Amino acid sequence: MQPSYGHGARSIDRLAYASGMGGWNPAFKTVLSLGTLIICLAADRPAVSAAVIASLAALQKFKGRLPLRDYLGLLRVPLVFLLLGGLAVACDLSPVPAGDWSLSLHWFYVCASADSVRFALALVLKALGAVSAMYLLALTTPACELVGVLQRAHLPMLLCELMYLIYRFAFVLLDTHDRMRGAAAARLGWRDFRTSCRSFGGTAGNLLVMSLRRSRAYYDAMAARGYDGGIRFLEEDKPFCRASALWTAVFWAALIALRLAAR
Amino acid sequence: MTGKQKKLVRLSACAALLCGALPMAGAMHIMEGFLPPRLCILWGAIALPFLIAGYFSIKRTVARDRRSVTLYAMAGAFIFVISSLKIPSVTGSCSHMTGTGLGALLFGPSAVSILGVIVLLFQAVLLAHGGLTTLGANTFSMAIAGPFVSFGVYKLCQKCKVNKMVSVFLAAALGDLLTYCVTSFQLAAAYPSATGGVLGSAVEFLGVFAPTQLPLAVLEGLLTVIVMIALESYARPELRAVGFEEA
Repeated sequence: MQPSYGHGARSIDRLAYASGMGGWNPAFKTVLSLGTLIICLAADRPAVSAAVIASLAALQKFKGRLPLRDYLGLLRVPLVFLLLGGLAVACDLSPVPAGDWSLSLHWFYVCASADSVRFALALVLKALGAVSAMYLLALTTPACELVGVLQRAHLPMLLCELMYLIYRFAFVLLDTHDRMRGAAAARLGWRDFRTSCRSFGGTAGNLLVMSLRRSRAYYDAMAARGYDGGIRFLEEDKPFCRASALWTAVFWAALIALRLAAR
Repeated sequence: MTGKQKKLVRLSACAALLCGALPMAGAMHIMEGFLPPRLCILWGAIALPFLIAGYFSIKRTVARDRRSVTLYAMAGAFIFVISSLKIPSVTGSCSHMTGTGLGALLFGPSAVSILGVIVLLFQAVLLAHGGLTTLGANTFSMAIAGPFVSFGVYKLCQKCKVNKMVSVFLAAALGDLLTYCVTSFQLAAAYPSATGGVLGSAVEFLGVFAPTQLPLAVLEGLLTVIVMIALESYARPELRAVGFEEA
């Protein structure tokens, strides 16, 4: 059975490895993405958010060679949260009708005003801008390179080691789980709601047993190769070029100028 | 039907279709960019002491027994996988467990706080659930408040000699509910409503997310019980190895 992943962990991971921006220096990409994220949040203007969304989408399309279809599909992931959260921000509950629109719900009124709707829309746009900035990191940098950046930022060795191992084991467990899911499907395990609950519990419990047994074998294998509390990888040398720093400075300056203009 | 009515029907059909097609992020992560910078820093600062305590707890265990490194890593990966799986649901939309309640029962709440922050970081960059600036707030609601309450409820139930599976159910479901309440409060503190202030806004956020979150909490409780039954029947030695005492 070939399971469909949708936009699961494997699809983002695959896109990150295949990205055209994979050759860029990971530390630079982290700084670029976090800096843009902070500017987008701190500026708090729809114009800046829209500029961030548009320019980063263009960057992913032309530099990252990421099909626009995939990118837009990924931007849909947080949409439910944004719509529900935006609804709660736009509307207000009150015992008497207030604002520009109000809907009577017998005990109280749900009210909204033009200002609150405008505020909620600006918020959703800002969040989408921030999400695109996060995608700039997530879709171009494999997670293990990210851990390398954190390690160079002096995160304790034990945590980096745990992160490397969790990253690796997560995919091992996902594969194991897919096989169990397929086996359950072959026995009509997802036939109805009751059976699916049983199958889900069974596969999850079995997964834990398998993972605990395997963790011992993995430790033995690592110890046999001289593991002493540090996992060292041969990292690809990804030089940092000055021109990209210049472009980043120009990009940020343009965003800040836009913020000042949109006062 | 008049033209206007036709348009209305078409519009509502589109809305229904959109809701059906959208991937549902059940475990309520606060999305990237939804909190103002001030609150991001505040929640990060609140989460930090718990994380440092968790780090020292893990470090002590690892210093005593190096072998536990892979055990912790597997536990973290297990929480990641459990929280990224689609769970069976009645409505057909796909939702996820938080998995931290189960983790807290099995591995203890302080270890889960550290594993939780790593899992949340990976969820942000690998699944696009949650975010980098909202990591502090999400860590507090999902990796600290939920697990500690789950663990507390479980211990309390054990003291009161409640049936084991009932206490597992209560622990997981209440931990999930608390996560949802804390998240709503975090959102409300960021966006207080004009008339009701923070409390009024908290009621709004609770109301908006209730249709997805309330059934999910019950389902999470049930599934945790089923997983526990499976573990008790097949994996007693493993349960003892991670320190989950037999009643």
